[in-house]
Amino acid sequence: MPGYVPTNAASSGVKLDKKTLKSIAARSDRPGLIYIAQWLTFLAATGTLVWATLGTLWMWPAMLLHGIFLTVPAYSFSHETAHGTAFRSRWLNEAVLWVTSLLYMEEPLHRRYTHTNHHTHTWWVGKDSQMPFDTPMGFGGWLAEITGTALLRFHMQVFLHLAAGRYTSTMKMVTPEREFSKMTRNARIMLLIYALIAAAPFFGIWWVVWFLVIPRILGAPVMLLFTLIQHVELQENSPSILESTRSFRSNWLAEFLYMKMNNHVEHHLYPQVPFHALPKLAEAVQDQLPAPDPGFFKTNLEVMSVVLRRSLGRPTKAATIRQAPHMITEGGPVERIAQRTM
Amino acid sequence: MSQWIDACATDDIDEEDLIAWEHEGKSYAIYNTEKGFFASDLMCTHEEQSLEDGLVIDCVIECPLHGGRFDICTGKALSAPVHQDLKTYPVRVESGRVFVETG
Repeated sequence: MPGYVPTNAASSGVKLDKKTLKSIAARSDRPGLIYIAQWLTFLAATGTLVWATLGTLWMWPAMLLHGIFLTVPAYSFSHETAHGTAFRSRWLNEAVLWVTSLLYMEEPLHRRYTHTNHHTHTWWVGKDSQMPFDTPMGFGGWLAEITGTALLRFHMQVFLHLAAGRYTSTMKMVTPEREFSKMTRNARIMLLIYALIAAAPFFGIWWVVWFLVIPRILGAPVMLLFTLIQHVELQENSPSILESTRSFRSNWLAEFLYMKMNNHVEHHLYPQVPFHALPKLAEAVQDQLPAPDPGFFKTNLEVMSVVLRRSLGRPTKAATIRQAPHMITEGGPVERIAQRTM
Repeated sequence: MSQWIDACATDDIDEEDLIAWEHEGKSYAIYNTEKGFFASDLMCTHEEQSLEDGLVIDCVIECPLHGGRFDICTGKALSAPVHQDLKTYPVRVESGRVFVETG
C-alpha cells in the first residue's frame, strides 16, 4: 500500500460493489465524440452570432456567449482528458487533452499531474497542489479567483518555468521525472502559438481577437464560478471527500458545459468513472452521500454573500449550502487555514 | 522453484476483468482479456496500489489510483506515472481451469 491514505471512496467510507463500478466505469469513444460534435455545433452557432453583430454593441453579449461555450467546455474537456477517461482510444484522449489545454491555457502534463495530486490529497493543506484560493475565502480572494487574473498569472509562470527548464519543487513533487522534457517541449510550442495569436492583429488578422481572445477572457469568470464551488467553504485536511467536496444540482445546459462535473463528490470518490456515467454513479451511491447543494446560480450567490460578510466581519453561516463547521462564525477576524497553491 | 498452480475457474473472471489471487503469501492479478488469460503481480509498481479495482481495456490494465497503464500480456509500463514494468507469470488453461506458473 502507498505510504499515505489517498482521498477517495475508501477513505470516505463509501462502498460500491465491484461489478457495478466496473460497468459504470466502462470506457467508450462514442460519448466523447458526440460531445465534440455538440460543442462544435454550439461554437458554430455562437460564432455566427459574433460575426453577425460585429461592429455593433451587440457584439459584446455575443462574444460573452461565445466565450462561455468556448471556455467552459475547454476547461471541462481538458480536465476529463487529463484523467484519461474521455475516450477509450488513448490517442484520441491525448490529442483532445493537448488542444483543450491550449484553450484552457495550461501545459497538458502539468495539468494532469497536479490534478492527479489534487485527487490523491484533496484539499489537504501542504499536499494538494491545486488549492486555487486562500481559505477561508474573503471577498478579495473571491474577486482574484473569479476574474481569472490569479489563475492566468499562475499558468503563465508555469509556462515560463517549463519552457526554461526550471522546474519548481511542486512540479518535482508531483511529476514523474521522465515527463519533464515533454512538458518543456509542450510549453515552448504553446507559448509560440500564443505569441502568434498576440501578433496576429499587427498583421491585420483580427478574427482571432473577436472569435478567440476576447471570448476567452469574457468566458473565464463563468468557468471559474463552476470550479470555485467544487470545494469552497468545505473542510480542509479531511480524509473524507464528503466533507471536502461539493456536488450541486444542475440543468441540462450547465451539465453540458461542465461535462456533468456538478456530480463532483461522486467524481472524487471514483475518478476513473467517465463524465457521461456520473449521473449513473450518483444514483448508485446517493444513499451514502449528502444531498447536493442548490444549482449553479444559487450556490454561487450564497458563496458570494458568505465571503462578503466574512470580509466585513459579519456572521458567515450560509442558508442553503453546506459549510465546514469552522467556516461558520459570528464574525470578527479570520484565521487563515490554507494559502493558495496555484 | 516454479510450479503450475490451479488458481481459479475460467468462469470466475468476467470478460475484460481481473481477480486478485493469493498463493503462499504472494498476491497475483489474473486477467481475462480478448487475447486470453494472463497473470501478473497484483500491486502497481508506482505506489504499491492494488490493481484489483483497476479497469481492463483491451489488453491494458489501468491502475485505479493514478491511472498508470500496463500491457497485460507483457507487463510493460505504457504511460506515466508508471515506468517500471509489472512482473508477469505464464498462464495455461485446461478443462476450464486457469493455471499460473509461480516462482
